[in-house]
Amino acid sequence: MKVNKLKNKLKNKLVWVGILVLGLAGFTGLCAAGELDVFAGENQVLRISGGTAHIPVMKAVARKIMTFNSKIQITIAGGGSGAGIKQVGEGLVDIGNSGRQATEGEVNKYGLKMYKWAIDGVAAVANPKNSVKALSTQQLQDIFSGKIISWKAVGGEDKSINVYTRDTASGTRSVFWKKALKKSDITAKANVVVSNGAMKTAVNNDPYSIGYVSVGFIDAGVAPLALDGIAPTMDAVKSGQYKVVRGLFSNTKGEAKGLAKKFIDYLMGPDGQALAAAKGFIPVN
Amino acid sequence: MVREKFPKFVFMGASLLSVGITLAILGFMVALAYPLFARGMFWKMLIQPWSPDQDLFGLGPMIVGTLSIASLAVCISLPISCGVACFVGIIHPRGKGRTLRQMVEAMTAIPTVIYGFVGIFLLVPLVRELFSQGSGMCIFSAGIMLGVLISPTMILFFIQSFTLVPQPYLNAADALGANTVQKFFYIVLPCAWKSMATGLILSFGRAMGDTLIALMISGNAVGFPGSLLDSARTLTAHIGLIIAADFDSIEFKTLFVCGICLYAMTGIGVILVRFLAGKGRVK
Amino acid sequence: MKSSLWDKGFHLFAWGCSLVLVAAVSIILGFLIVKGYHTLAPSLIFGDTPFWEALLLRRQVFDGLFPAMVGTLCLIVLAIVFAIPLGLFTGIFLAEYASPKVKWLFSLVFDILAGIPSIVVGLFGFSITLFLHHCFFDRLYPCLLISALSLAFLVLPYMIRTTQMALENLPMDVRMTAPSLGATKFQNIFYVLLPASLSIIVSGIILSIGRCAEDTAVIMLTGAVATAGIPRSVFASFEALPFYIYYISSQYADHSELMKGYGACLVLIFICMILFVLAHWIKQRLAQKLLYRS
Repeated sequence: MKVNKLKNKLKNKLVWVGILVLGLAGFTGLCAAGELDVFAGENQVLRISGGTAHIPVMKAVARKIMTFNSKIQITIAGGGSGAGIKQVGEGLVDIGNSGRQATEGEVNKYGLKMYKWAIDGVAAVANPKNSVKALSTQQLQDIFSGKIISWKAVGGEDKSINVYTRDTASGTRSVFWKKALKKSDITAKANVVVSNGAMKTAVNNDPYSIGYVSVGFIDAGVAPLALDGIAPTMDAVKSGQYKVVRGLFSNTKGEAKGLAKKFIDYLMGPDGQALAAAKGFIPVN
Repeated sequence: MVREKFPKFVFMGASLLSVGITLAILGFMVALAYPLFARGMFWKMLIQPWSPDQDLFGLGPMIVGTLSIASLAVCISLPISCGVACFVGIIHPRGKGRTLRQMVEAMTAIPTVIYGFVGIFLLVPLVRELFSQGSGMCIFSAGIMLGVLISPTMILFFIQSFTLVPQPYLNAADALGANTVQKFFYIVLPCAWKSMATGLILSFGRAMGDTLIALMISGNAVGFPGSLLDSARTLTAHIGLIIAADFDSIEFKTLFVCGICLYAMTGIGVILVRFLAGKGRVK
Repeated sequence: MKSSLWDKGFHLFAWGCSLVLVAAVSIILGFLIVKGYHTLAPSLIFGDTPFWEALLLRRQVFDGLFPAMVGTLCLIVLAIVFAIPLGLFTGIFLAEYASPKVKWLFSLVFDILAGIPSIVVGLFGFSITLFLHHCFFDRLYPCLLISALSLAFLVLPYMIRTTQMALENLPMDVRMTAPSLGATKFQNIFYVLLPASLSIIVSGIILSIGRCAEDTAVIMLTGAVATAGIPRSVFASFEALPFYIYYISSQYADHSELMKGYGACLVLIFICMILFVLAHWIKQRLAQKLLYRS
């Protein structure tokens, strides 16, 4: 009898603890979901395209929103900064991402509104197995223009250098070309890849490769090369020591409205900025 | 009478629509590339290099890339297809030949993207290590994979050509004591060469028109390829790469010139085939 | 003696070539199977979402092949819906109503259509979209509908050729019976000829389905994107299996995504093989029917 009474008391206690835990969880859930609440009533499709560096953050944010409200659908395409600007200007997508600032001509032609939500760097990268870890600007220019063709000339093995570059729609390319290569030539023999992800894959798979990629994309698969002695780490980009930086922009035609506005507000809010930081970029807020 | 005419008009309408679509494809390309025609740039474009920074939008490197990869693929595929077709059609028509033929037919169902995928992860590192020059993404790798892609079609075509040889000829050859190689070179080949040439031309057209393998394996460099181990870009991959560019730019218009080139190349191939089939054949 | 040496050489060559081909295919398929078989599990297709919720479309699937497979399925259905009537009617016209000169001309045009590279067809679809977007429908972008139409153009020549061949190869006694009993041409086609050639036409349809399932170049330009979920309507962007494979091959984020790519390759090969075997089996049944009839 006493044992049973004890058992009941314990069971009651457990039930209360359970309710308390659930209540706390629900409360925290509600607090966390507070930012996502704005998406509660929506059921439209949001179309995003453009810069490939933005894609991991876009995917993470989209996943959160779509898990919260499964009636919303967010489609994400790549194409490069040029494509993003063009497509949002032509009304083919709602948000066009770009890894470079839209030129005055583009802004005037389409009436674009730019929203910067992160800072990113562009770093020259090589395969992790490569012994070369640093280059000077002159060496970098010569390698990319095709004057230096063997890793031996810059302190590595006696193997030919395989240069990888991006297509002309790429914002990453234009930033790298302007700020790191100082507008010198890129050899016509370089392999062309279509996105930051593709560049990472290519450099990872080729032991004698050199390419350039967004700093946020750098992981164990590629080794960043220090430029003029400064390594392209997140801190160096943040402090301004590493000079090859660019902003990550989301552009809309005219002021953002509706679902696009909510999406961009979420990006600029604490949750979105935390996601951007988690993916390797530097949040602006 | 009306009820008899109505179906005819429906069917004729459908055919005219189909023909219309084919011609519209060419028409659209020409219309959208018109600004380039107007500026007299079209013919120059076919030989100039591609360098947008210097305002050069030539398709020369791409045309060279397409032709070299397709030629390499056909060169690799031709002897193999001949050999397999002989095996299946002449040497072992039953038993082993039948099994091999079914395997070849099944091969036609393998998607192109699979060849591209395996090419990237298996062939490219192999070529890179074997030749220790270049990144492995080159004309050579693309040519090999493309050769494997077009082989089944060529083999089936050749096998079909061999069946065109009249049986009495083969029987007569057997009666005279001819062995296989004599039969092949003196009887089968003279009878079937036209049909085989048709298969060859169509496979070449298929090789020129393939996009995925070239896009994934050949490296897509913009310069004129200098050797088999150089990275190159084909017309088809060029379309796939530039499609994201600005619509109003000259770059984008060059895509339509690419389309016209490809259309013209395959069109010429088809007309050549018709010509080979003989003028007397009005079906 | 000399000829015997040539003969032996010839045999050796044929054997060698066959072995090379078999080796190439085995290496390709074997590589994929070895690398990818351990990803073959429901999580490959459905990711973290429980499969009944995904199938009932109650929850989105991330990290899985399900959206791509649904996209491919919608594409196939739409493309076939467009291609079958057009191809069938054109084939009937060519086989039954066309004069020899018209037939020669039209089949030349359709041979050209068959030879057009798929990316040119995709480019055509894209340019039509741009044209319509600028001139008529402001809200039209590359979408499922445009992709399906472009795919329909791609498989149209197969349908036309199959129907034409099937109808033309029917034996005389089948063609002549109904008209001799007073049927009109149309009744003959609809009630006699088409049912008789149905097997070949159906196997042609299945081969066209296979072509739609595997094509990447066309959909790349006309609406396939890397991340889209289940397409909401025919005017939405979509994912597709071959495009997914292409996308993963060039930009996989980590090892597990690459493994998913291998798994996707195996799934795609499996689907294409099933379609091929189905078409083959239907054609065999027809061969048996003919064999036993004659």
